[in-house]
Amino acid sequence: MKKMVVLLLGLILLPGLLSTALAADKVNLYANITAIEPIMADFNAGQSAQEGIYTRISTSKYLATVLTEFSAGKLQADVLQGPLPILQMLKEKGVLTPYKSSSASGYPDWATGDDTIIQFGIEYVAPIYNKELVKPEDVPKTYMDLTDPKWYDKLVMPDPASHATTISWLIGLKEAKIFGDDAGWMKFVKGLAANKPMFVKSFGPSPAPIESGEKLIGISMPKYIITKAPAPLDWARVDTLLGTTRAMALAAKAPNPNGGKAFIDYWLSAQAMQLLADKVGEYVLTPGVFPPIDGVDKVKVIPIRQLSDEEIRHWGDEFQKIFYQ
Amino acid sequence: MFKKPTLTTTLIIIVGFLTLCPVIMLLLGSFSKDFVSFGQFTTSKYVSAYTDPDFADILLNTVIFTVGSALHATLLALFLAYVNTRTDLPFKFIFKIISIIPMMIPHILFSASWVLLLNPSNGILNRLFMSLFETRDALFNVYSLKGMILVEGLLDLPIAYLIIAPAMSAFDVSLEESSKVCGASNWRTLFKVTLPVLRPAILASAILVIVRSLASFAVPSVIGMPGRIYVLSTHIYRNISSGFAADYGLAAAIGLSALGASITLIYIYRYLTAESGKFVTISSRGFKPTLIKLQKGKYPLLVIVGILSFVLILLPVIVLFYISMLPYSMPPSARAFSLMSWNNWIDVLKDPISLLSLKNSLFLGVVGATLGTILSIFVSYVIVKIRTTASGLLESLSFLSFSFPGIVIGVGFMWFFVRTPLYGTLTALLIGYIATYLPYGIRPLSSAFIQIHSTLEESSRVCGGTPFYTLRRVIIPLLIPGIVSGWILMASMFLRELTLSVVLSRPGTEVLAVQILRFAEDGLWGRLSALGIIMIFISSLLVILAAVLGKKFSKLEVVDR
Repeated sequence: MKKMVVLLLGLILLPGLLSTALAADKVNLYANITAIEPIMADFNAGQSAQEGIYTRISTSKYLATVLTEFSAGKLQADVLQGPLPILQMLKEKGVLTPYKSSSASGYPDWATGDDTIIQFGIEYVAPIYNKELVKPEDVPKTYMDLTDPKWYDKLVMPDPASHATTISWLIGLKEAKIFGDDAGWMKFVKGLAANKPMFVKSFGPSPAPIESGEKLIGISMPKYIITKAPAPLDWARVDTLLGTTRAMALAAKAPNPNGGKAFIDYWLSAQAMQLLADKVGEYVLTPGVFPPIDGVDKVKVIPIRQLSDEEIRHWGDEFQKIFYQ
Repeated sequence: MFKKPTLTTTLIIIVGFLTLCPVIMLLLGSFSKDFVSFGQFTTSKYVSAYTDPDFADILLNTVIFTVGSALHATLLALFLAYVNTRTDLPFKFIFKIISIIPMMIPHILFSASWVLLLNPSNGILNRLFMSLFETRDALFNVYSLKGMILVEGLLDLPIAYLIIAPAMSAFDVSLEESSKVCGASNWRTLFKVTLPVLRPAILASAILVIVRSLASFAVPSVIGMPGRIYVLSTHIYRNISSGFAADYGLAAAIGLSALGASITLIYIYRYLTAESGKFVTISSRGFKPTLIKLQKGKYPLLVIVGILSFVLILLPVIVLFYISMLPYSMPPSARAFSLMSWNNWIDVLKDPISLLSLKNSLFLGVVGATLGTILSIFVSYVIVKIRTTASGLLESLSFLSFSFPGIVIGVGFMWFFVRTPLYGTLTALLIGYIATYLPYGIRPLSSAFIQIHSTLEESSRVCGGTPFYTLRRVIIPLLIPGIVSGWILMASMFLRELTLSVVLSRPGTEVLAVQILRFAEDGLWGRLSALGIIMIFISSLLVILAAVLGKKFSKLEVVDR
C-alpha cells in the first residue's frame, strides 16, 4: 500500500519537478503574436545556448492567465510580451521587473522611457482591399472615402462595440485630428456605420472575407499582405496609419532571468526586428527597418494613446448605439 | 447489484470532485473584485450582468437558437436512426458513419465551410441558385438565426443520433405489432407506442443538444456575430473582450444562468421519465429486434437519405478539402483549380508542433474516452436503476462543468489546476476533459440502461452470480450499443476539444484544436482545413474501430424478418 502511495505521489509530482529542472536552460516567452517561428528558430540557432519556447496566449485570456499563475507562484514566463495596457497592469501588480536593454538604444524616446516596459512595434491598422476586385480608381485615398455609399454591404471590420483595439483605433483617429475636428470624425463614424459593415470578433478573421471576395474592403492590418501572400490583398494609401503599441518586459520572478535578458536583447536587435518585419509584416521601431510592403516606408505611422478599460467600455457602448442602429 | 448507498456515495465524491472544483473557483471569481478567483467580496458583477439592457433580447435569441438547434438535431437524428437501425435500406453502414461525421470536424471549420457555401454575397450554393434561376436574391442568408440553427443542429446531430440510435436498435417490434393487431393505424402506432417508448432517448437528446448549444461559441461567433445576432456565449465574449483586463468573474456570473437552465432541464427530464419501467424493452421474456422491409420504398428513400447526407454533411467536408488545396480562400473557378497544390498538407505534416498535437490528442482521445466510459457506466447505473434523491444529485453534478459556456469553464479549471502539481500537464487535460464531457458518456448509457429490465440482473444474482460477474456477463453485453456510442462521443470530442485546451495546454502539451485555433487566428485557412481533415480521418478510424468491436461483442443481433 505504501509503495502504491509513493508511486502515485511520484506520478503526480514528477511533471512539476521535471519542468523545474528543465527550466534552467529554457527561456519562456508569453505572447500572442502571429508567425514568429522564424525568429524563435533564429534565437535558438544563436550563441546564447538557451532554447526559446513560445507560449501563445490569446489577448482575452492573457491577463487572467498571467495573474492566476503569478498569484499561485507558477508563472513560467521569463519574458512577457503584449499590448502596452496589459503590461502596464502587470507592472502595477508586481509581475514585471526593471530591465534596460542596450539593443533598444536607437528606439524613439517614447518607446524606451519606462524603466521596465520597452515598446518595440506598432500594430498598424489600415483599409485593406481585394486588388483583383476593386478597380484602381475606386481605391479609397482617405479614410472618409470609406463612407462612400458604393461600399454599402461590402465592408468588414472587427466589432467596434467590443474589440478593444478597434475601439482604440477609432478614438485614435479622433485624437489625431485626421478629420479636422470632432464633428468631422463623428461624420466619418456615422458614415462608416451607414455602410453596414460585417463584424468579426477581431483582426484575425478580417482578411478572409476580403481575399475570398465575400467583401471587397475592410478595416484590417497591412501585415496580412505578407502573412497571407499570395492572397490578392493591398492597403489603401491613406496618409497616416495608427495602431496600438507592442511591448515587452522581463518577469519579476523569471525562472531563468539571465536567459530572459538575453532573449529581450536578441528580440530588440536589428537582426530580429528585420525578421519580424520581413516574415511577419510587423511595423517595428528599429530605425530604418520596414516591412516589405509597398509604401509603408513612406507613410506616417503613429501610436495611439492607450485607453483605460473604463474608456474602452464607454466608447464601446457609444459605438454600439451608432453601429447597431 | 452493488451495495447501492456505498456506490452512490463513492460516485458523488468522485464526480463531485471532478466537476465542482472548477465551478467553485468560478463562483468565487464571480464574487471577487479582482481578476483572479480569490479577492475582495463584491456582488457588483451580478448586478452588472443582470441589469444589462440588452440581456432580455440576448435571452430570447438564446432560447430560439438552442431550442431550434435541439429540434433540428433531434428530428434529423430520429429519421436517420430509424432508417439506419430499423429498415433494410442499402448502404446503411455508410450512412451510419456520415451521421456522426460533424462531430469529428472542428466546429470553427464546419461553420466557416457553411459560410463559404451560403454567405449572401458569393456563397457557392447561393451563386449556383442565382445563376440557375437568374435572380439577384440569395437562396439563404447563413448570417441569421435560421443559419445558426441549421449549422448548430448539424454539429449536434451526432450527439442526438448516438443517443437515439441505440434505443431504436433495442426497440422491441412486438410492441408495434400488438398495437396494429388491436386495429391501430401506422400513425397512431407511431404516436401512441413507438415515440412514447423512445421518450427517454428523445428527451435526453434534446436536453443534451440544448445544453451543448448554450455553451457553443463557434457558430455564434463565426455566423452570429457577422449577422449581428448575439446569444449568451457571444454576449459573454463581448463582455470579456471589451477592455484588456478580461473579467472572467463577470463572465462566470452571466454563465450561471446557463448552469441554472441546464439543471432545471435535467430535473424536467427526470420528472418526464420518472416511471422508468414504462420504457423497458429488453427483459427476460425474450428479445428480438427486427428489420422492416422497405420493399418499393427502398430506393426512393435511399435517394432522399443520400441527398440529405450529401448536402448537409459531405458538401461542407468537400469544401474543406477544396480550401486545403488552395493558397488562399476563393470561390471555385478555373483560376482556383489551376492554383491547387498539396503545399498546405506538406506544411502541416512537416510542422513538429502539429505532429506533437496529433500524438497528444490521440492519447487523450483513446485513454480519456476509455476512462470516461468506465466512469459513465457506473454513474448511469446509479442514475437509472437507483433513482433516489442522491442519484438525482449525482446526475446534476455530472452536468455542472458541461453546462458552463466553454469560454468560461476553461478558466475555472485553470484557477483550480494552478494550485496542484498537475498544472500544464497532459494529466490536467485528461481530468478536465472527463469532468466536462461526462454527460457524453452518461446520456447514451442511461438511455440504454433504461431499456434493460432489472429482472435480468436479479436472475443472475439468484443463480449465484457475483455483482461483477453479472455486470460483465449480463449487463455490459446488453449495453454495448450505448457503450460504443458513449465512447465514440467522448473520443471524438476529446480529439477536437478546444475550450479547456486553449487555457490548459502549454508547450509540450499542445493538442490538435489549439494548433487549429492558431492557424485560424493567423488566417491560415488552407493549413487549418488540411489539419481538420487529418483530424476527421483519425476520428473516423476510431469510430470504425469502436463500431467493429461493438458489433463483435454485442448480444443484440438484429434479425431480418
